[in-house]
Amino acid sequence: ADGRDGPALAAAPGRAQVFSTVVDTFLEKLVAAGSYQRFVSCYRCFYKLQPQLTRSIYDQFISQLQASIKEEIQEVKNEGNLEGLFSLLDKIVEEAKDREEPAWRPSGVPARDVRSALVPFLLRHRAHLRRALQERQERSSSLAEAVLAGRDSIAELQQLIQARQQAWQ
Amino acid sequence: MSVNPMTYEAQFFGFTPQTCMLRVYIAFQDYLFEMMLVVEGVMLKKLDGIPGCKISPSKIRKCTEKFLLFMKEHFDKLFSKMEEVLLQLVLNIPKNVLLPEDKVQEQYPYSEEEFQALQDELQQLQQQCRAEAVLEQELRAELEEQKAVKAELEKILQCFDGLENICREHGAGNFKESFAFLTQSSKKLQDVLKDVEEKSKKMNQHDQLM
Repeated sequence: ADGRDGPALAAAPGRAQVFSTVVDTFLEKLVAAGSYQRFVSCYRCFYKLQPQLTRSIYDQFISQLQASIKEEIQEVKNEGNLEGLFSLLDKIVEEAKDREEPAWRPSGVPARDVRSALVPFLLRHRAHLRRALQERQERSSSLAEAVLAGRDSIAELQQLIQARQQAWQ
Repeated sequence: MSVNPMTYEAQFFGFTPQTCMLRVYIAFQDYLFEMMLVVEGVMLKKLDGIPGCKISPSKIRKCTEKFLLFMKEHFDKLFSKMEEVLLQLVLNIPKNVLLPEDKVQEQYPYSEEEFQALQDELQQLQQQCRAEAVLEQELRAELEEQKAVKAELEKILQCFDGLENICREHGAGNFKESFAFLTQSSKKLQDVLKDVEEKSKKMNQHDQLM
């Protein structure tokens, strides 16, 4: 567990811890149920014949069963990356601890759920378009000014030429 | 009784918790049976090696079944309890918890209408951009035309200025006025010529009639 300094109260066990504890408890109780006494009472005839062998068979049976079960659990943990997921989920749950209302859950209709996922992209696109439009409008307006100024100076030139023409008449 | 499909948990873990539990249950059960068979096998082998043994294999089989039945009962009960705890405390996502990957769902809860409005707005912006692009092209085209026209007009002005400079250089003073006088005179001459032409035409006609 991550090093937590603070109050003397122990932090609530994480999911990984609970998982281990629960599996260990299961095994403990199973082994307790399948006790040597119980084993002997079922295999009484053999026990009478071979008491030592019976003990040894039982010991091997129990230890092998425990080993196989623990191995299976480890495999499941590795395959699913459970340790990592457990601690991640613990963190997520901790961050949401002050929140009381039920959170969003998938509606089951993908088309509906994907809307909100698309919105950030659309908003970004909109901002980009707004910027581009503004740039273009600024460009057009300065071009329009240049065009009007150009028309004015052409009119001026035409007037000057007319004046010269008349002076030469 | 409705079964909780635990789909949100499946989204997070990559498997359905119940499926995981089932897989584990079957595996454990298989190990139990396997071990029991091994136990039985060892015993039978031992008995085989004992001559005149009164214990038959079927008797051993009965013992095994007895023990197995007992174990299975406890196994099922204990496993069921374990499964309950795991499904409730470990392999579950509390109702108030939203997975980080779904943050957008609560950040942008857009209804269908709002979503459509956003898309419409985007379309409109795109059209406006296109319109501005067209306008820009037209304005640039006119600017090019204006450049050409201005160049021509300036050339003409330069011609006039050139003429004036020549006059000034050759000290022809009021060359402009003389030129203007000339153009007037030549016009008058042309008028007079025209008059004469007309008069002589009339005289010829008159002569012919005579």
